[in-house]
Amino acid sequence: MIKIENVSMKFNLGIEKDSSLKQLFVNFFTKKKKEKNKEFWALKDIKIHINKGEVVGLIGSNGAGKSTLLKVVSGVMKPTKGTVNVNGVISPMIELGAGFDGNLTARENIYLNGAILGYSKKFLDEKFEEIVEFSELRDFLEVPVKNFSSGMTAKLAFSIATIVNPEVLIVDEILSVGDIKFQEKSKKKMMELIKGGTTVLYVSHSLESIKDLCTKVIWLEHGKVVEVGDTDKICDRYYKEQMKG
Amino acid sequence: MIKLKGVFSNFKRYWFLMTQLISRDFKVKYKRSVLGILWSLLNPILTMTVMAIVFSQMFKFKVEGVNYIVYLMTGIIMFNYFSAASNAAMTSVVENFSLINKVYIPKYIFPIAKCLFVGIDFLLTLIPWLGIIVLSYFGLGQYTCHFNIYYLILPYIFFCMFLFTVGIGLLLSCLSVFLRDIWHIYGIVLTLWNYLTPVFYSIEILPAKLQCLMQFNPMYQFLTAARGIVLYGERPSFTTMGILGLIGIGSLALGTFVFRKKQDKFIYYI
Repeated sequence: MIKIENVSMKFNLGIEKDSSLKQLFVNFFTKKKKEKNKEFWALKDIKIHINKGEVVGLIGSNGAGKSTLLKVVSGVMKPTKGTVNVNGVISPMIELGAGFDGNLTARENIYLNGAILGYSKKFLDEKFEEIVEFSELRDFLEVPVKNFSSGMTAKLAFSIATIVNPEVLIVDEILSVGDIKFQEKSKKKMMELIKGGTTVLYVSHSLESIKDLCTKVIWLEHGKVVEVGDTDKICDRYYKEQMKG
Repeated sequence: MIKLKGVFSNFKRYWFLMTQLISRDFKVKYKRSVLGILWSLLNPILTMTVMAIVFSQMFKFKVEGVNYIVYLMTGIIMFNYFSAASNAAMTSVVENFSLINKVYIPKYIFPIAKCLFVGIDFLLTLIPWLGIIVLSYFGLGQYTCHFNIYYLILPYIFFCMFLFTVGIGLLLSCLSVFLRDIWHIYGIVLTLWNYLTPVFYSIEILPAKLQCLMQFNPMYQFLTAARGIVLYGERPSFTTMGILGLIGIGSLALGTFVFRKKQDKFIYYI
């Protein structure tokens, strides 16, 4: 289903400096003194196979490469080395509401954001009611999204993102959106999707929710896979390792 | 061939997104304005009035044997399309970084959507433009313009200009990811380009050498072909039409080539 073969991802930490003409000009004359750009490998030789229907949790400290891995899988980034093969439709929930335009109303944003996620007009027309219903925002349909509270925005975004039955769902730390009632509802929705056979890649720092949802865990550290396997065992080991200091 | 088919199916898949982006631009542009989309009609009319007064009354510009107001307006609406569309396309990729960073979307969508958005505005400006031509029958300006069958060639000319603009837009949007200075430089380039294109003057006032060089200005070619039809009732020669097509396709090919080659690197420059 998802095949990640020897994927490495290199970032150039010094890249920011070269983006202006002045800097290029300066660099031209100070070439000899110029430091070699600092290289940073966010992912190193990652090899993971995920089967259809598996719910895989990604854990690791900040900067371990979790989000980068999700971006590589969703196609936002192309790996420096290696290949990623994904069979099926991907629904990325990397950052909810990334496609919202604050000036547009909720109704307009449902269409805009839906289009960004690759839905067709027909599909959105059909599912519009369902999205509105789930988001609990019927009274605010004609209000510009910039006037929404962050919770409301997240609710709307979650409702749009989960309206499809994607074959692959990529989730980055989003289950804690909205009020308690909505959190429960969104968790239920996730479980439904999972039961429907969706393959899920899930990043979270909440070991509790990982234990709740995932059938398998991948532990990343410094861009490398530390361990892959049983959820409870690896979560416990990871927790101990973190607490050690 | 298979590659081309892939491009088209991809295009079809993201067509809805394209229309959404365009309609967003319209909604945001006319938000909180009482007259709304009417401004797309009013704006060129008012600009035209100002320009017509400045150039024909104050500077006493004229072009022998033709209706100067129509001459001027044809130049202005066409050049304005090019400059507004290429400018908007140039910033489009950088402006949508937050999106590109999170969801996979073919990035060429953004500059093309901008060129189409400004294109719709351009089509609206054709209404007052045609209005001016009709008014020339009733004595607006010195000479009368005559509607003729060659008007049917105008869409072809506009389409070639559109392709040319998309090509430039792709190129600039891609380069400006790496070098933000392009934004400032291009503003100056556009001003210069505007003056180097016979928008409000006639090429005949230039020295012979410059007249020769002018042939290499794509915007001059588009303007001249359109003016030939509108002002002189002349059908552009097949060579001219071929050249216009080549300019459009050539620019598009160059823009696409550079964009495709560099687009995977965009993400590092966010």
